[in-house]
Amino acid sequence: MVAVHNSPVLNPLVRKPSKPFYFNTSEHLLRIGRQKASTLAELLEALRTCPDDSIFQHTFRTLQDHHFIRQGFSNDFAHWILSACNEPILAEQLASVDVREFTAIEGLRGRMVEIVDEFLEKNPRSASHAGHEPFYFCASDIVVLPTAFVANSLSGFLDGINQVSVHSIHHHFIEARLRLHRMSNDFSQWLEEEVGLPAAGDSIEHIDIYTNTMEGVRRQIAGTVEQVLKQNGERA
Amino acid sequence: MNPRDVNNTTVVTPPHTESEKAGEATPSFATTTPPAPRRREERPLPASVMTPPPPPPPPHFDDYKSIIGQAQIDALRFLAKDLKGKSIKMVNSTAVGGGVAEMLNRLVPLLSELEVPTHWDVITGGNDFFEVTKAFHNALQGSSYELTKAAQEIFLMYNEQNRGRMRFDEELVVIHDPQPVGLIRSRHTSSAKWVWRCHIDLSNPDAKVWEFLRPYVEQFDAAIFSSQSFARQLPIPQYLFYPCIDPLSEKNKDLPDSFVQKVCDEFGIDRKRPIVTQVSRFDRLKDPVGVVQAYKLAKKYVDCQLVLAGGGASDDPEGAAVLQEVKEAAGNDPDIILLDLPPWCALEINAIQRASTIVIQKSLKEGFGLTVTEALWKGKPTIGGAVGGIPNQIIHKLTGVLVHSVEGCAFQIRYLLTHPEFAHRIGVSGREHVKENFLMTTNVKRWLLLFRILSQTSSAIRP
Repeated sequence: MVAVHNSPVLNPLVRKPSKPFYFNTSEHLLRIGRQKASTLAELLEALRTCPDDSIFQHTFRTLQDHHFIRQGFSNDFAHWILSACNEPILAEQLASVDVREFTAIEGLRGRMVEIVDEFLEKNPRSASHAGHEPFYFCASDIVVLPTAFVANSLSGFLDGINQVSVHSIHHHFIEARLRLHRMSNDFSQWLEEEVGLPAAGDSIEHIDIYTNTMEGVRRQIAGTVEQVLKQNGERA
Repeated sequence: MNPRDVNNTTVVTPPHTESEKAGEATPSFATTTPPAPRRREERPLPASVMTPPPPPPPPHFDDYKSIIGQAQIDALRFLAKDLKGKSIKMVNSTAVGGGVAEMLNRLVPLLSELEVPTHWDVITGGNDFFEVTKAFHNALQGSSYELTKAAQEIFLMYNEQNRGRMRFDEELVVIHDPQPVGLIRSRHTSSAKWVWRCHIDLSNPDAKVWEFLRPYVEQFDAAIFSSQSFARQLPIPQYLFYPCIDPLSEKNKDLPDSFVQKVCDEFGIDRKRPIVTQVSRFDRLKDPVGVVQAYKLAKKYVDCQLVLAGGGASDDPEGAAVLQEVKEAAGNDPDIILLDLPPWCALEINAIQRASTIVIQKSLKEGFGLTVTEALWKGKPTIGGAVGGIPNQIIHKLTGVLVHSVEGCAFQIRYLLTHPEFAHRIGVSGREHVKENFLMTTNVKRWLLLFRILSQTSSAIRP
């Protein structure tokens, strides 16, 4: 199926969901890791050996921490390489990695290692150049919490989307693929499987998280759902 | 100190007498200063700031709803609900003065209001104890120090005395900073989890002092630091709790524009022209002379006023010397306004920050830099030295701008004053960054999460 971005093709046959959508949220506590890197060579080594939850923290999780930035922030590694090491080419290459292309941390780690490794092969002198501050590897202890919102209908789903925190949006929209191990998110999956709206789900899946704030993502999801509701006359 | 102006720079200073230094009631300005004619540069502090105002009542948890939103309030209440029936003890070394006491004054009632009873105990000790702990404090932050057997004995003796008089009936015991670290010897008396909250920079400690304290630290269940770079390698989990500001405090709450205008009028600040401000003690590590130099370089290209608002010049000989250096650097520029304010002028500092076009914190060395947090919270485009905790707050060109030199600071002043859209954008992002990471409510959340994680309370996810 060809996705139509930003102007969703929507299925007017909305059915009542057999399972409600439970809006959860996640909160995290930042843990300071044991590894740090002062040079790109050290960063590469640490990328290879650090725990999965460090890769998660500096890619998926940092997007939540910086959800209010519309552009220019992708992951902590790219940011450090630009701001502390002044290597804009490598920074751009790492920043272009879309976490949503990965359903497991190992694949994401492999891609990051590959990019840095290739860069240092071509630019060996950059390997030992010290950044003006070290990169400290961190990780998070995560606690998942329920929210007050449970959707038994599409309009209830819209209410939840509009009212939960951006952390909840991040939890269901971005982190979900690590849980689902598939190229989707909780919202799209529910819309497709429970409400029979695969096109709406697909449209939501294609929202660009790197040129939007998380509030912008929320508005686009809500806009897609509102359009379906209007087409079905459930809400003017 | 009597202001001795070397030029036409506007200097606003409080009058100081020996009686004030001795802690007596502060007399009104009119009674302590001869009514001699003054030049503009000798403008006195307005009478309204000459005496400390009564402390405002502390805010309640629900007062934060308008700031962080219902969803975050719900998340905090849910986290707290799972901890119902459990309690926390906080222990530090002083009930008043200093950032830790200030933070606990807000944190403790908020946690208790969330039905997680939190008790705050302060250790006691003689002058000899506090002389030793002051020396330890400085040594742990890199000063040289000769650790003696006598100092170790004094430290341990007072810790034992306090351990003898304190009870540890709570489920979570939090020891703040090194002074009470010896209380960990009581951990065997209950099943409580013990956490060491270190507020100081341990990145380059005196080796002997750290080796003396390390065995105690290693007995805790977890340690907390204010920055990744402040931590040590330890066999226990280490968490990152950023320092925070209270958005409802006098220093940070919203102010009516009429009050901001009144303060500017009183201090001779012209709101019709750009205002560049640094708020900090007159301390060389805050580089106020560098700020003056940067302003002068920028002023060749853009019109602006410079406000250096701080304190410490009246009761600290070094502060007075630094203020004098700043005055000399300022020369005869009437657009440089130096304010030596008493410590209770939180509302006035708040107003000056809000009136500012740009805020600078061009420190050469810094702890976390809460003045940066305050500026970001007010949505101000902020220029910070890339030291200490400032880079945690200022993501270069996204939530502010980082500089490494006088010249860099001057360029950023010019750039921000001539690119108001960019300045506005980083100001907006800076405020969001603070809202997400550096507010008191986030701090409450971190404590609840830590308590929950240490208690291994299962997270209640619906199927």
